[in-house]
Amino acid sequence: MTRVLATYNIKGGVGKTSAAVNLAYLAAREGARTLLWDLDPQGASTYLFRVKPKIKGGGDRLVRGKTDADSQIKGTDHERLDLLPADFSYRHMDLALDAAKRPTTRLDRVLEPLKPDYDFIFLDCPPSISLVSESVFEAADALLVPMIPATLSSRTFAQLRDVVGDTSQVLAFFSMVDGRKRLHREVMAELSAAYPEILTAAIPAAADVERMGVERTVVEEVAARGRAAAAYRELWAEVRARLRP
Amino acid sequence: MSRPRRALPPARAPPDVPDSSPVSAPSESYEVTGPLDPAAVAEALAPAFGLHAEAPVRHARTYLDTFDGRLHGPGLTLVHEGGELVLADTAQQTVARERWPRVPKLLLVTDLPAGPLADALAGPVEMRALQPLVRLSSREQLLRVLDGEEKTVVRLRIETPVLEGGARLPTHLHVVPVRGYEKQAAKVLRRLEAALDLTPAAGSIADDAVRAAGGTPGGVSSSPKVPLAADDTAAVAAARVSSRLLEVIEANLPGTLADLDTEYLHDFRVAVRRTRSLQRELRGAFPGDALREARARFKRLQAVTGDTRDLDVYLLDFEDFAAHLPEARRPDLEPLRRLLRRRRAAALRRMRRELRTEETAATLADWRTLLAAMTAGEAGGPDADVPLLTIASARIRTVHRQMVKAGSAIGDDTPAEALHDLRKKGKELRYLLEFFAPLYPAVVIKPLVSSLKALQDTLGRFQDREVQAELVASLAADVHKMDDATSALMAMGLLVEGLHEQQRAARDEFATRFAAFAAPGQGAIVKETFA
Repeated sequence: MTRVLATYNIKGGVGKTSAAVNLAYLAAREGARTLLWDLDPQGASTYLFRVKPKIKGGGDRLVRGKTDADSQIKGTDHERLDLLPADFSYRHMDLALDAAKRPTTRLDRVLEPLKPDYDFIFLDCPPSISLVSESVFEAADALLVPMIPATLSSRTFAQLRDVVGDTSQVLAFFSMVDGRKRLHREVMAELSAAYPEILTAAIPAAADVERMGVERTVVEEVAARGRAAAAYRELWAEVRARLRP
Repeated sequence: MSRPRRALPPARAPPDVPDSSPVSAPSESYEVTGPLDPAAVAEALAPAFGLHAEAPVRHARTYLDTFDGRLHGPGLTLVHEGGELVLADTAQQTVARERWPRVPKLLLVTDLPAGPLADALAGPVEMRALQPLVRLSSREQLLRVLDGEEKTVVRLRIETPVLEGGARLPTHLHVVPVRGYEKQAAKVLRRLEAALDLTPAAGSIADDAVRAAGGTPGGVSSSPKVPLAADDTAAVAAARVSSRLLEVIEANLPGTLADLDTEYLHDFRVAVRRTRSLQRELRGAFPGDALREARARFKRLQAVTGDTRDLDVYLLDFEDFAAHLPEARRPDLEPLRRLLRRRRAAALRRMRRELRTEETAATLADWRTLLAAMTAGEAGGPDADVPLLTIASARIRTVHRQMVKAGSAIGDDTPAEALHDLRKKGKELRYLLEFFAPLYPAVVIKPLVSSLKALQDTLGRFQDREVQAELVASLAADVHKMDDATSALMAMGLLVEGLHEQQRAARDEFATRFAAFAAPGQGAIVKETFA
């Protein structure tokens, strides 16, 4: 059975792409056939995998089912890990969805024929609350929500829970954590107490994660022994254990 | 996994045209004479592509398959490596894997935990045992072919296998395309073929290794097919087919004695039955006295193996039988299963004793000597020199006519015996058509065999269910003595009822199946083809 996991947050710059790329890599390394769909028009994960951010005919035709998604998939540098690339036209995906019938089911329908080929499908989503995110909620079995432990994150998390409704498959975790900052430590303690379902694995704000963009690869290849790589491994083990059987 | 990018930069980027083909091309494998140096590969690909060479690694792999190569047929490979069983398809893509600490000596699908590997193997492997074929230690190096963005567009794997015992096999270069970069893969292939001394690999490394170790890639076939010509004499043809059947018998004897799985015995028995059929059908080709003795001896081989096979069939079909009971009642049949297993163990002991006698060895040795003499033209019966086509056609025509006549006389009230007799005739015809298929046009043989097969399936089910119902009924007294007897006996009652019901269903099917087999059009074709 294929699991669809979406990294999502209303806010940008919280480590969504980094989570999607590194967790998808770990899934594939374990032997799972894995696809990552880079839904963000900025194409950060596409860039990290050195693939051209190009969908033939554009994102509009893709979400309306006019372009066969299968034909647009690219293998990455890693065995069993494939990518459905970003396209700059994804910035208009809201409009494309709005013009389509039953817009919130569109992404699910794009993914459906791909499912027999994959054990995991990761969706790397743009930050927003829009038709795109609603469509993502519909398609995903679980949302992976990175949160920076700062003042507003508590409010953002509460908002997200309201939007999603079914909170059992909202897997939130702390991201870009700076353990030297008292604020970070306090917010983490407070939020974890209020929401015990928040995962215990936390991704540090490490130079290794930033170097991913320079070396254009996953953190395991930048520094397998570093704290960041270890944190993603821990996170992946926790996510897998939390998925509904 | 830290990886310094020591890539050789390409001078210009290759064109990146999106390919419309959704499916990656299967990987290509080449044999390389002598060692293959990554630098030579890099040179062949420059300046269009860069190359990144990963550090070489060693792999110890044990390849597994069934005796008859059931994975090899559909292009699957099962490997034990690093404490894992890994199943890969023709494109060398992993289909399923399972933790398995040690190399299994013998593995049945039912030994595996429920999961993707058991699911993927169940279809092709069925009840056969998977066994280690060959063990290889390979040095492997992965080379990644890079485009202008230093993106991997093709993977190259250099594999230098060493057979257990030290024999070195030819180095293989595997070219594995990356999905969505098929054009680049084609270009890489062209460049490598032009620059390096590559020969497309005739078979897989596992095949090379099996051959080098003295085995047959693809396993041992139990097919009776041998080349035959219309003007072969009856004696030569009879000896050729019989020799092939003798090979099958001898090939399956060790596995039968070791009881590795149920199919050695099954194939052994089928080959014995086919031999007996040939002894009857071409009796004039064999010298009379020798044939009389051989027929008695082969009859014995079939008789001493019968009980074990009957019990095998029962145990193999047990789940199917149990499925006819309400789910809650199924566990009640366990005492019956235990009893059948005990009976089978006893039958196996008796069979082994019989198969290990001097008599069995002499049966096979004398038969081989006789067949050799017939092949050399030194022995034969009254019809020895008659052209095969004449005898084969006459026999097929006669048996077909007898079947049509006997089957037409069967009505709703005809005793079961008549259907059993018809099934025996059907087997005879089936074997004749199989042995002598090369003499006749396939367009005639194929539909005839398929309508005959459908009829035989129905007749087989009709008879098997009767035999099985009788066996269950006959075991009641023994089950009665066991602990959980009452519920078991009630479940057995339901089972017997279910078996009778299936037998009735088979009888209801008979008329339709027979009509298809005996259709007037088909009869005319038979008369014409086997004139």
